[in-house]
Amino acid sequence: MPRQLRSADVVVVGLGAAGGVSVQPLAEAGLDVVGLEAGTWLDRRDFAPDEIRNNYRDWPMLVKKTFNERMTSRATEEQSANRIGGHPMMNAVGGTTLHYWAQSWRLNPWDFRVVSETRRRYGAGRLPAGSTVEDWPFGYEELEPYYDRVEREIGVSGQAGNVRGDIDRRGNRFEGPRQRAYPMRPLRWTAYLERMADAARSLGWHAFPGPAAINSEAYQGRPGCGYHGFCSSGGCPLDAKNSPHLTTIPRALETGNLRVVPRAHVTTIEVDSSGRTTGVNYVTGNEEFFQPARVVLIAGYTYENVRLLLLSKSRAYPEGLANNHGQVGRHYLSHHQGAGVGALLPYDTGAWYGLPAQGVAVDDFADDNFDHSGLDFIGGGNLWAMSDRRPISAASMGTYGRGRNWGSAWKRFIRENVDRTHSFYIQKTTLPYEDNYLDLDPQYTDELGLPVIRITAQYKDNERAIAAYMQDRAEEWYRELGALEITRGGLGNTMGASTHAYGGTRMGDDPETNVVDRWGFAHEAPNLGVLGASVMGTSGARNPTLTVQALAWRTAQHLVDAWRDIAE
Amino acid sequence: MSAAASSRTQMSARSALCALAFTVCLPLAAEAQATFVVESPTMRAGEMMPRDYSPDGRNVSPPLAWRGLPDGTRQIAVICQDHGAGNPPPWVHWIIYNIPGSATGLPEGIPFDESRPMPPGLEGAVQGANGWGMPMYRGPAPPGTSLHHYHFAVFALDAELDLPPGLTRDELLEAIDGHVIGLGSMTPHYRRHPENQEIDP
Amino acid sequence: MSDKPIDRRAISRRDLLKTAGAAGAAALIPGAAGAKEAPASVADTAAVRAGPAAAAAAPAGPLMNLTAAETELLSAMVDRLIPSDDMGPGALEAGALRYIDRALSEAESDSVEAYRIGLAALDRYARYSRGAPFLELSDEDKDSVLIDVQLGGATGAGVGFVGSSGAFFNMVKSHTWQGVFGDPMYGGNIDFIGWDLIGYPGARMRVSEQDQRELEAGQLPPARRSAYDYGQFQLIRGEED
Repeated sequence: MPRQLRSADVVVVGLGAAGGVSVQPLAEAGLDVVGLEAGTWLDRRDFAPDEIRNNYRDWPMLVKKTFNERMTSRATEEQSANRIGGHPMMNAVGGTTLHYWAQSWRLNPWDFRVVSETRRRYGAGRLPAGSTVEDWPFGYEELEPYYDRVEREIGVSGQAGNVRGDIDRRGNRFEGPRQRAYPMRPLRWTAYLERMADAARSLGWHAFPGPAAINSEAYQGRPGCGYHGFCSSGGCPLDAKNSPHLTTIPRALETGNLRVVPRAHVTTIEVDSSGRTTGVNYVTGNEEFFQPARVVLIAGYTYENVRLLLLSKSRAYPEGLANNHGQVGRHYLSHHQGAGVGALLPYDTGAWYGLPAQGVAVDDFADDNFDHSGLDFIGGGNLWAMSDRRPISAASMGTYGRGRNWGSAWKRFIRENVDRTHSFYIQKTTLPYEDNYLDLDPQYTDELGLPVIRITAQYKDNERAIAAYMQDRAEEWYRELGALEITRGGLGNTMGASTHAYGGTRMGDDPETNVVDRWGFAHEAPNLGVLGASVMGTSGARNPTLTVQALAWRTAQHLVDAWRDIAE
Repeated sequence: MSAAASSRTQMSARSALCALAFTVCLPLAAEAQATFVVESPTMRAGEMMPRDYSPDGRNVSPPLAWRGLPDGTRQIAVICQDHGAGNPPPWVHWIIYNIPGSATGLPEGIPFDESRPMPPGLEGAVQGANGWGMPMYRGPAPPGTSLHHYHFAVFALDAELDLPPGLTRDELLEAIDGHVIGLGSMTPHYRRHPENQEIDP
Repeated sequence: MSDKPIDRRAISRRDLLKTAGAAGAAALIPGAAGAKEAPASVADTAAVRAGPAAAAAAPAGPLMNLTAAETELLSAMVDRLIPSDDMGPGALEAGALRYIDRALSEAESDSVEAYRIGLAALDRYARYSRGAPFLELSDEDKDSVLIDVQLGGATGAGVGFVGSSGAFFNMVKSHTWQGVFGDPMYGGNIDFIGWDLIGYPGARMRVSEQDQRELEAGQLPPARRSAYDYGQFQLIRGEED
């Protein structure tokens, strides 16, 4: 029998990007909050600029919950699913935000209204067959105040493009109106990035610096970015990357109302006979505990949230918690991050010291920012040109058919070309489809013997058409830059595991097609809230984290405002 | 190098080249005004290639000789390809071009190391990217004990093209389009024998 | 910075590689003859002296995880991957073997068997296809063999590669690149040979706008420091919450 602990007002499962933000408004409102985190505290002593450790070996994780529960994957139901080799996320206080790229975009208004906007502009026939996409239950303007709050609380640098309807040409003219500018100026550009921006402008495109949860200057007592070049899968040794473990979690701890329990691996959520949640079971080492709470907020990654619900079977929920409508695991999608484009340039780019969030964005071909009348897809992609290079990966570059990638001739090649490559990061619209979903794998389990998630998902015609279209745009850009060689990746098939995974507990007003309501609480279990990208029904064409954090803040604030209705 | 995972285009004539890869060879055949004889001192069409031209042996490039080139031949290009492999076929084992029109063949063992000079009489010749993305000859290694056919195609060109090294098959065919005045070929085959796989201890 | 790695270009590499047994293998490993001869740049690294990894000093004979014969084969292969030549020192001088050996004791311990099997298969393939042991082949023939191993042509020869021969090649290449171009803390990149080869100006904590302009002008002097020289970092994380 698990040991019964003292009851809390709210238990938050997972203190990463979402849970780590939610604890601040909860604790500041005086609620008694317990934060259960599978990982441990890590700090800047753990974040050496060390490519072997960051990119080739295990990160300084002490806990491998995600690795032990890594998913299986297949494209379609006809195939058998194979276990993947690693997990895109890590366990720690602050979660994967400790070493993420920290690009902190707001979604564009179109992303909230894909169905109605497509119908209005092109007709209902343009929605791809088999897609289960819905409009969000609210628009961009509803989320704007929370975006604004989170940008200030965690610290986001960037260049505004639309302040209350006034377009600023230095920023993204396609963004939704914001109430004010970013709290920090954007990260700097290098000479090569300036060159890229000039090339984009000569093509008639609108180039601008992207937003990042990284200090471009001193902010909240922590220094500006050091541009040391080890930011991709690397923690910040200067504390300039604004993970919740440096921002919202310490603020919540200062109130005295948050207790953080590291190494707490939550296994199931308990419910009473009426279907209300009563708390969660977790394991620490060999000890089992039951943490009672009046409200449960699950805040793991998409795969973890879905898994926890499906594993929490009870008389009230025989197919898993909040799954009596069969919607848990449905409407799964992940960003199409493949189909890359790279180039060999005739000049050095000076990219040794930079970071993935430092770069040039072009949003002209994202969302519905361009006319799709003559095209065979909806949505689009954001072109992102970043400055990022590290020695081992740089010395492992392809040779563009010019010879072996080793030997004496290669030494000459690499000396000349090591700083002359560049590749685009192109994030593209992915839609949900009726046959793309998550469920429990019938065969593989974690070290506790509990089934892992099985991903059944594949990119469809719409995603592949976007990918090809965006590759053409990237190639145009490289031509303008005078590239000697250009490579294009394949258009993609199996979706697989991703750092940008969405859906599975989708948010919407209709309980027949959505797990949580417009506030993030389960239709079937009203004192269960879900935080994270698993509630998002569309991907947009940009990184999800800031939207996840704005939604987490909003759900937490709603819980504070409606405490009696939800908790009692 | 992941040549199989990504396509590659050359700056000179890039757009939609990959999509057109299959169709560009068709006009070449139609244009070809003449056929000529291609043979080898060590290989015969329709017969087994010696083991030394495969990874069962030294894996050196085989010697080729040609006769009866059309008048006006200024340059020669050679592709060795397996039409029964590759996705899409063919799988390319070797590409060599910028071969002077005066050449009467290729000796055995064209250097795989680009820092080594071409043999006398082949000055200026360069190698393109084979199916592995390598600018060199790599011989047959058909799976199991299957028999595969290796098509050595020799193109007679009416111009001295100064093509850069490392072109893929598609890029080369695009670059020589309109200059092919003669075509010759020979097709030996190869099978990895089970007895080949017994080795001395 | 007193003693540098021995310039083995003066010695016939073939003779070195032919020298059988522990002494021969040890001669290929910079610093292998004893702590006194450990390359200065690494010995000077404060974190290496003090850190836990320093305890795993350079091997004093064949690699800890491989036999003398396996060490010789691996040396010969790594030597061809990044040779010492007129462009400068190669993977052996950079300490790639020491890096691999330490890795096989720690993070890559699951790969020891793959090295054993792969090296044996490499030698059998050399005998099968080129009629001589790998160590006796000319540099050109060694390269030709390694190309066939890399591209998978050696797989179907029935010489004992598990899966594709390319997987073995890629494993050795990847570890060699880590050893040459990774942080010197792990035993490789001696004297910053790898970083100098590609013109990487080194691990830094802060890069100012002025530094960036100097980098773009080709005038930024290399930092020549391991990440762990900055004093702030711990490689092994203690059990503290």
